[in-house]
Amino acid sequence: MGYLKIEPWLKIKQWLKIEKGLCRTLLAGMLSATLFGCAVNETATVVVDGDQATQIIETNSGVLADSLRISNTHTGYAGDLLKVQATITNDSNDHLDFRYKFKWLDKNGFEIAVDGRPWTPMLISPYESKNVQAVAPDPRANSFKILLQN
Amino acid sequence: MKSFKIITLVLISMVMVACSSGPKISYGDATAVETTTIGFGSTDLQSIAAKMVDDLIAFPPIVQMTAQRRPVVFVDKIKNKTTEHIDTESITDTVQTKLLQSGKFRFVDMTAVKAVQEQMQFQMDSGMVDPAKAVAFGKQTGAEFMLYGNMSSIVKRNSSAQDVYYKFTMKLVNLETGIMEWAGEKEIRKSGEKSFF
Repeated sequence: MGYLKIEPWLKIKQWLKIEKGLCRTLLAGMLSATLFGCAVNETATVVVDGDQATQIIETNSGVLADSLRISNTHTGYAGDLLKVQATITNDSNDHLDFRYKFKWLDKNGFEIAVDGRPWTPMLISPYESKNVQAVAPDPRANSFKILLQN
Repeated sequence: MKSFKIITLVLISMVMVACSSGPKISYGDATAVETTTIGFGSTDLQSIAAKMVDDLIAFPPIVQMTAQRRPVVFVDKIKNKTTEHIDTESITDTVQTKLLQSGKFRFVDMTAVKAVQEQMQFQMDSGMVDPAKAVAFGKQTGAEFMLYGNMSSIVKRNSSAQDVYYKFTMKLVNLETGIMEWAGEKEIRKSGEKSFF
């Protein structure tokens, strides 16, 4: 039993003596894995108020925020339901694989049909623009958000 | 150097503990993109339902028809012509729920007919229910429209890759006239590399 307990510790000690450089590399690798392994996906948000159609763009720093642009948001009505369209443009020289999601808010800012729409995957070529459309789940919706996530 | 080794060991143990003894079960986002396998998944179901509902409630003749009244609809089964086992009732359930919540349509639930019949029979025949308060037979509303559809797939694979294409079609037919008032379609393509491990 003693042999089983002591041997792994000795092995680690011997291994640590092998090379200082190796230890440093390992330490740096583990630190970066700890810092970036659980990184939160960046999100860009556009809010359009039904009547005024004002747009607020919130972006976090990162590849997606630097490369993708949300523009030309249009709103209309299908009967009494808010119908929206937004253009997503890839300003980069890379193919981008991301996902988007619509959220709907009533006039008081309450979210309608929470988790009612799924994250939708989208591929976009370099410098390509794509339109995304959605219809509000019920007549209470008067503004919306588009979330982008990589 | 000694403190450097201690920090390294502490970090090794932290990473090992985090990786080995962490929780094996966790809750995830039900609306997240799911790509566990190339087969039909939750993302496909949710995106089909969202597209069908958006198309239907924004189609101009339907907008006009639902502006003043809420038509009664009967949902038939979706024919699964794919090679996979897919719970198509789950798709129609989601579509039906979203349409109902939009306030544009009402539904008759054919999956509950037997239970409804039993309950009405109980009210009439058991002698336990006040006849004045028992629900009367023959007063139910008939559906004006039927919602139904098909789902098909094309699967292709070679030694290193596989590709699946799904096509979901949904139609709304006027039961009295037989006229198809609306049809919507959603296509999904998924590709994957074959794993050798």
